Amino acid sequence: MTIAMDAVLHVVISHGLAIGFMTMLILFQTMTYAGKGPHWARISRSLLGPAVVVITSVGAVTGVGIWFITGILAPEGIGSLIHLFFWPWFIEWGAFTSEVILLLFYYYLWDRLAEKHPGRLTALGWGYVTMAVISAILISGILGFMLTPAGWPWGQTFDQAYYNPTFAPQVFLRLAGGLAIGSLLLTAWIAWRFKGTREERGSALRLAGGVFLGCVAVGAVSAWVYFSRVPMTFLTHWKFAVATSYMSQKPDFLPALNAVAVGVLCLTGLVAVLRWPVVCRILCIPAILLSVFMVMEFERIREFVRGPYLLPGYMYANQVPLAEKLAVDETKASYLPRMRWVDDNGTLPPDMVAGKALFAANCGVCHTTVKGGLNNIGIRVAGRTLDSLNAIVSITENLGPFMTPFTGSEPERLLLASYIYMLGKEQGYIKIPQAPKAPAAQAAAREAK
Amino acid sequence: MNKWTDLFLLHPLPEGWLNGLLFVTFGLHLLFALLIVGTAVLGFVFFLQDWLDNDQPGQHWNSKFLHTHLGLKSLAVVLGIAPLLLIQIRYSYSFFTATGLFAYAWLAVIPLLIVAFLLIDGFNHSMTSRAWLAMICGVIGVGALLTVPAIFTGALALMERHALWAQFGQSGGQDFATLPALGPHWLLRYLHVIGAALVLGAAFQLFFSTRNNPEKTPRLRSWIFGATLAQILIGIPLLFTVAAELTWIIVAALTVGATAALLVLWVLRPRQSASEPAPRPVPLPAPRSLLWLLPLAFAAMLVGRQFIQDGAMNPLQAANDAYRAERAKTMDPFRQPSLDAYAFKLKTVYDNGDVIYDQACAPCHGLEGKGDGPAARQLIIPAEHVADIRANREYVYTLVRDGVPGSGMPYFRLYDREKIEMVLDAMGKRFGMFGKTDVPQDREPESDAMIVWAETCSVCHGVEGEITAFGHTLLPPPPDLQQYTMTHSRALEVITNGYPGTVMPPFRHLPQEVLEDLTVISNTFRAVK
Repeated sequence: MTIAMDAVLHVVISHGLAIGFMTMLILFQTMTYAGKGPHWARISRSLLGPAVVVITSVGAVTGVGIWFITGILAPEGIGSLIHLFFWPWFIEWGAFTSEVILLLFYYYLWDRLAEKHPGRLTALGWGYVTMAVISAILISGILGFMLTPAGWPWGQTFDQAYYNPTFAPQVFLRLAGGLAIGSLLLTAWIAWRFKGTREERGSALRLAGGVFLGCVAVGAVSAWVYFSRVPMTFLTHWKFAVATSYMSQKPDFLPALNAVAVGVLCLTGLVAVLRWPVVCRILCIPAILLSVFMVMEFERIREFVRGPYLLPGYMYANQVPLAEKLAVDETKASYLPRMRWVDDNGTLPPDMVAGKALFAANCGVCHTTVKGGLNNIGIRVAGRTLDSLNAIVSITENLGPFMTPFTGSEPERLLLASYIYMLGKEQGYIKIPQAPKAPAAQAAAREAK
Repeated sequence: MNKWTDLFLLHPLPEGWLNGLLFVTFGLHLLFALLIVGTAVLGFVFFLQDWLDNDQPGQHWNSKFLHTHLGLKSLAVVLGIAPLLLIQIRYSYSFFTATGLFAYAWLAVIPLLIVAFLLIDGFNHSMTSRAWLAMICGVIGVGALLTVPAIFTGALALMERHALWAQFGQSGGQDFATLPALGPHWLLRYLHVIGAALVLGAAFQLFFSTRNNPEKTPRLRSWIFGATLAQILIGIPLLFTVAAELTWIIVAALTVGATAALLVLWVLRPRQSASEPAPRPVPLPAPRSLLWLLPLAFAAMLVGRQFIQDGAMNPLQAANDAYRAERAKTMDPFRQPSLDAYAFKLKTVYDNGDVIYDQACAPCHGLEGKGDGPAARQLIIPAEHVADIRANREYVYTLVRDGVPGSGMPYFRLYDREKIEMVLDAMGKRFGMFGKTDVPQDREPESDAMIVWAETCSVCHGVEGEITAFGHTLLPPPPDLQQYTMTHSRALEVITNGYPGTVMPPFRHLPQEVLEDLTVISNTFRAVK
């Protein structure tokens, strides 16, 4: 949950503000440079400060936050990625640093350059945009690998890993999405807060709305290409990924919501292009909320559907390498001796300590063990018996196609089953049959019949 | 051994290069991190001083001074990414273990930094206009910012002391500050970092912000002087906490650093500007020698620190690499088979009922629906013979969706509705599950069987085949016979032999005729409906 919140915040800010919104501001400033009137740069100037503060404070720190959190949640996973993709990441760091330096120059030097050397200011701005785009391109290869490594597990070359099938569509999707959110935010600001003549507002709305509409179109096409390249075995879980257990029982809900979202977005852009500020004001609010929803939906699908794999073809989501799972199975080895850290705070009997450790290694990455926790295992085992839990743990991969298989020996599986059975009982989700409260009354009722 | 079997064994750069890059990028990051902490703390102190002295022009200078914070902090954050990347390769084992143990504090860095950056910005903006608001923003913002180095130094101190990891983990980190091998070192190290931040922050501003305000130089000079003095005083006991790790190289580096620090003190020593007091004392300019003395002190200390760290973490990393190489050897023979299994998995798409049944249902219910799948062997209550079920579709949907409590049948809400419908379609097609109830036309139950039903069976199954109140208390509960039946032969088998592991007992002591009749009765309720 922490990673999800952090990541969504980061994506909205890094794509929406750092790429999209800043590009729009620079575009507006360029309009003034091109002699289209001073109001364009005025808009940029008044929004530049807040944008820079949010980008450098929240956007950058949440980006580092992704590293911090993944390092704690999945050190083996992120560590493997870093070893594999050191160079793209290192180069991306260079792009980031240049991006920040150019942004700071653009911000600090605006007052000095805007009057005398607007051309230099414009160049700084577009230099920034270039760096932002480069860093978006660089990260897309790595993100794409995590869902569609394609031939890499077999061929194991860097090129196969990096230039994977979803690399290119994801670049376009992320850039278009970022620019869409940025231009939408700017449209909303112009509709609500712009002070100037009607003509000025109209022209600004038209440009921002036009860019927005264009981005929605590019985004839609690239999303289509992107999803067409995701293996069906993953993609088929998309509804469950977003709607989770209860809402996924209403099959039309999600497609309908998406259709409404796209409709609202298109309408907002259209209204802006038509220069109707009042309607635009009202539509902007649901449009912004729905676009954040769509970002969340996309990231959720991307992260969830690859299901049992953290790195498909190499590592399961619980950080057990595919080959290690098979090695443990085939040699009938125990998994516990391979674990170097076991949490034992002295309150559980040894079997349960073992069960808890096996749970942490096999299931802990997705399931919590606390009542009310996210995806709490207690609820998931509700109503099961110990023998059935033992059986179910042996077929998790088949039962829930996005669940990892259990790694460990048969006796260890029973230890794990006993542990989760105990949790289910403790939390009241597994009930032991009780004698009816008033057997006499039951009997009397039967007599009466 | 294939180095791709374990990606951790894949090194993008030779060790020496990694060390060098880590040293340089960490130095850059630390420099800017120290500058922001120093700038923020000094900005806040100057704000308080000028607020108490009611010095409004002073506040304008303070605000200008703090304006650099935005740029410095952006660079500090972005420059921090490279060492973060590099340390995860160079010292993967120590880094991941220590940050994992330190998880909560480690993660707190993110919200703390966001709060600090936003509030320090707010502090700067309200400084000249709303002093009280500035005061509140400043206290919280600078406080949050000062917490971050405490976490970083704590994490690094723990990273370098692997002997403490187990003890630290067991207590959940609660005795962190009181561990004798850790607490004093951590505290002194933290103070040393803050001291360095004040020295460098004040020096940066001395050169950057006093060009048009020379009257501010004495203030900054005395801060550098005082903070450098404090650095030496804190440095001595800090040295004792790492005495065991010292080598000649480390001592040499620290000596160079300390000498540079002493020279800084000499350069900045308080003195009269002239023998005769001038009408207006001219503030002493910023001494140029600081421009090489301070970087020298910084770099020398950093070198010493790096060697201490390497000494602690290198052997551990080497041992871990050896362990991984060994493990990879055991995994190697299984790489190809695991890829074959993966390829099969990629081809198995859960988008049709047949695949879903074969994958998710057949392990217990069997491919033929006879309850004889491989996993069923482990069940005390045998898996149902789904091929023999004749039931209403909506009822089976709820069973599949919610599972049967008290039995092995789990809930399948982990599929969306369309998938559940697909598997129902498949079961309907394969087994005729939703077909007519199997009742022999030519058989009317005799009264003996009616009595048995009324007196015994109806306790759970109800007079009308519905689940009774008592039946609902059972785990698993009996099925609702108005919606769910079995083929005649299967129902007869269950009535005769019972359903193992459930409350359904065997009735094989009854005459065969009665058993046949009971089977017919059990199957009439759905037929009637």
